[in-house]
Amino acid sequence: MSYSPKVIDHYDNPRNIGSLDKADPAVGTGIVGAPECGDVMKLQIKINNLTQVIEDAKFKTFGCGSAIASSSLATEWLKGKTVEEAMKIKNTDIVQELSLPPIKIHCSVLAEDAIRSAIADYQNKQERK
Amino acid sequence: MGKACELAQDEMHRENLKVKELRDRLEKRIFAELDEVHLNGHPTERLSNNLNVSFAFVEGESLMMGIKNIAVSSGSACTTASLEPSYVLRALGVTEDLAHTSIRFGLGRFNTVEEVDYTADQVINTVKRLREMSPLYEMAKEGIDIKTVNWANQH
Repeated sequence: MSYSPKVIDHYDNPRNIGSLDKADPAVGTGIVGAPECGDVMKLQIKINNLTQVIEDAKFKTFGCGSAIASSSLATEWLKGKTVEEAMKIKNTDIVQELSLPPIKIHCSVLAEDAIRSAIADYQNKQERK
Repeated sequence: MGKACELAQDEMHRENLKVKELRDRLEKRIFAELDEVHLNGHPTERLSNNLNVSFAFVEGESLMMGIKNIAVSSGSACTTASLEPSYVLRALGVTEDLAHTSIRFGLGRFNTVEEVDYTADQVINTVKRLREMSPLYEMAKEGIDIKTVNWANQH
């Protein structure tokens, strides 16, 4: 299998690797996938409560190059967006940007799930306050 | 045919020992310099050119992508190009999560010590780099047993 130049670039120079404090009420954490399936993504966002703007995004991914690239790209796109705008990111946008082959589409689905899961975690935390 | 048999008889034993030495050199470096690595297959009763290792918390395909210029396989020979982990490893009793982290190194009579050392360097560096970005490695370091986690979102 050959990877697109953009996938290779994200794999070689991943953006925003790392972790945010999951106990921070301003941080939403999404962990999706499973080790048995060969993909686990952890995506975290830090949201400004007043403006609803995502000020920081970090990821860690266990998975193939396309899974790493999908989550790396997602953090790049999330930074500076509002929560509402972030909800509009579709897996197909990721497929298109990274030229993912059909066998790797599930990587983009996982990244979209991770975004939604991180936002849901943040919103749950805010409701509990 | 007779000549081929004669050559084989002459060279097979010697070549076999040479390949085994190279294989053992690679194995020793990997196991000395990385934690959480698992040898797949019998420790001694296996092909002398074969080394199959699971690098826990690092997905096999991403490791292959990092060790450029080196030809290895992340599945069994029969499952190359599919996303399924090797059913040979599964049959050997390797759990599914570890099967996703396996790499099969196949050595040949024309490989050199330099190539083996280069491979060991590349593998060790790439595993370390990928573990730094593995959420599973992070969990393990925090003392969380990934087998007890309820992985809700399965694909």
